[in-house]
Amino acid sequence: MTVRNKVMTLPEAVDRFVRDGDTLHLGGFIQQQPFAAAHEILRQGKKELVLSICAGMILADQFIGAGAVSHLITTFCWNPLPATAHAFVRAVTRGIPRPIELEEYSILTLNLAYFAGAMDLPYVASKTVMGSGFDSENSPDGAKNRLRFEISPFTGERVCLVPPIRHDVGIIQVQRADPFGNAQSWGMLGESRYGMLSCERIVVCAEEIVDPDVISRDPNRTMIPGFRVDAVVEVPWGAHPSPVAGYYDMDWLYFAHYERRTRDQEGFREFMDKWVYGVPDREAYLGLMSRTRLEALRPDPRDADPVPYGTFSRHFEEARDA
Amino acid sequence: MPSPDKRTPTPVERMIVAASHLVEDHAVLMVGTQWPIIVSLLARATHAPGAVICYEGGIVLQDMPGRIPLFTADPVVQSCAAFLGESLDTLGMVLHGGRCRMALLSAASVDRFGNINTTCIGPYVSPTLRFGGSGGACDFGSLSPRTVIILEHDRRRFPERVDFITTPGYLDGGGERYRAGLRPRTGPYAVVTTLGLFRFNEAGEMILSGFHEGTDVEEIRGQVQWDLKVADDVGPLPSPTPLELDTLRRLDPERMYLEYKRLLEGKEISL
Repeated sequence: MTVRNKVMTLPEAVDRFVRDGDTLHLGGFIQQQPFAAAHEILRQGKKELVLSICAGMILADQFIGAGAVSHLITTFCWNPLPATAHAFVRAVTRGIPRPIELEEYSILTLNLAYFAGAMDLPYVASKTVMGSGFDSENSPDGAKNRLRFEISPFTGERVCLVPPIRHDVGIIQVQRADPFGNAQSWGMLGESRYGMLSCERIVVCAEEIVDPDVISRDPNRTMIPGFRVDAVVEVPWGAHPSPVAGYYDMDWLYFAHYERRTRDQEGFREFMDKWVYGVPDREAYLGLMSRTRLEALRPDPRDADPVPYGTFSRHFEEARDA
Repeated sequence: MPSPDKRTPTPVERMIVAASHLVEDHAVLMVGTQWPIIVSLLARATHAPGAVICYEGGIVLQDMPGRIPLFTADPVVQSCAAFLGESLDTLGMVLHGGRCRMALLSAASVDRFGNINTTCIGPYVSPTLRFGGSGGACDFGSLSPRTVIILEHDRRRFPERVDFITTPGYLDGGGERYRAGLRPRTGPYAVVTTLGLFRFNEAGEMILSGFHEGTDVEEIRGQVQWDLKVADDVGPLPSPTPLELDTLRRLDPERMYLEYKRLLEGKEISL
């Protein structure tokens, strides 16, 4: 098979595939969040983004505080310490630095929306959220979202209809990908698969770019098939401070640092000037931290046993030669 | 705060132990972040070794984690999992699929009918205070046959009616939950706090069922913002046994949960 090599630099991938006003999906449920790519998006000054991210965390917080987001689709936004995501709260309660529209879901409904989006289903019916603040019929003053409520033609009971959510562009940090874009991921996967597959354009950031043979020796591990992918970028530590299974742990110290420094908008700006706008790339970002401390986030080795896939050809040859 | 080597349990320790008593052995649990983590692990380590712990990101635990997870997506749980999948596996196939027996949730506030708010104070569009939001909590409370709500008791956290229903309890009571479309035989099962244990009557209203040592019915009635009903058989809750207390303190030697230590609070951070 002839495959196109999609490997490029992060600035090129962001420049080519992320546009102002895009509905942007950032993948990774708490883990594997594409911080490196996100910072490049902010450095390139992309604006008026509709940000769709299942676990808002401090990644959504940074986009909101930077004023790059006009509309946020999420299920929660906080700092896992646990503590407040200050920029999110400033925007929602006081419109600082700008008001944002919120489109809130529960995790199950947002996952179903991504699932429906990936398959282009007209909707998915479910039995969750009814009567809550996410049920717009029951709570007109509740959360704004696109859930609808109908009577099931099959059972006659009230059901929650989840609309498909599709994205212009999606980015995730995975463990490894080949140059064609076949992206393999493991660990806790949250909404990653359907979130990414509901995106029109896909940028894969990988801890390592590997030979296609590595992928085809363990294809069950592939989360995004390469033909769906537009760009592949090798970014070691690209999810820091979020964790990547097998590569590095959550950097709790960084989350605590972020919480302290971003309690007001002035502090937030200083933080971003140092960690995002003040560095040209991920290498420089990593250079702001003690390498020894970072290396301590690496796990001790603990490997899965190889599984036999085998190759099946011999019995055909034997039959032919008989 | 009594020092941990004393044999006297703290209010938080009483809350965790009392909540763990509600977990049945071999029950399939959907476990939310914060208190439910330590409650479910204590149950596993004591009377419910067969309890199956599931987290919303797609995790089913196998063994006890090497240290107490700081939240349900803590990578430490990946090294002791039986199953690592997607949110559609646990929230979808386990919870929505009807395979879950009990959900455990923390809450910012809970009202008379067991509705939980972890979203905002004030109107949704212009809140005076804003919290993180639902995550999977709304789904837990919508779908679980039994939902146990665990929070430190503070009168401000027990309004008659929450400002926003992040997680549906019995709504306005009297079957309102089921008329909204939620499945029969689902809903809040108990609320466990640092003061006592609450259950729900037929109408879906929270009633005081038991109190921890050191408090009483009258004190607790003063610590909610409505006229709290009291069960006919209300009485003291069993105190944590020495074994439970030892197990609990071994689970959380840094007392991250037991003293609610914010990570690195007061410490200098050098990156």
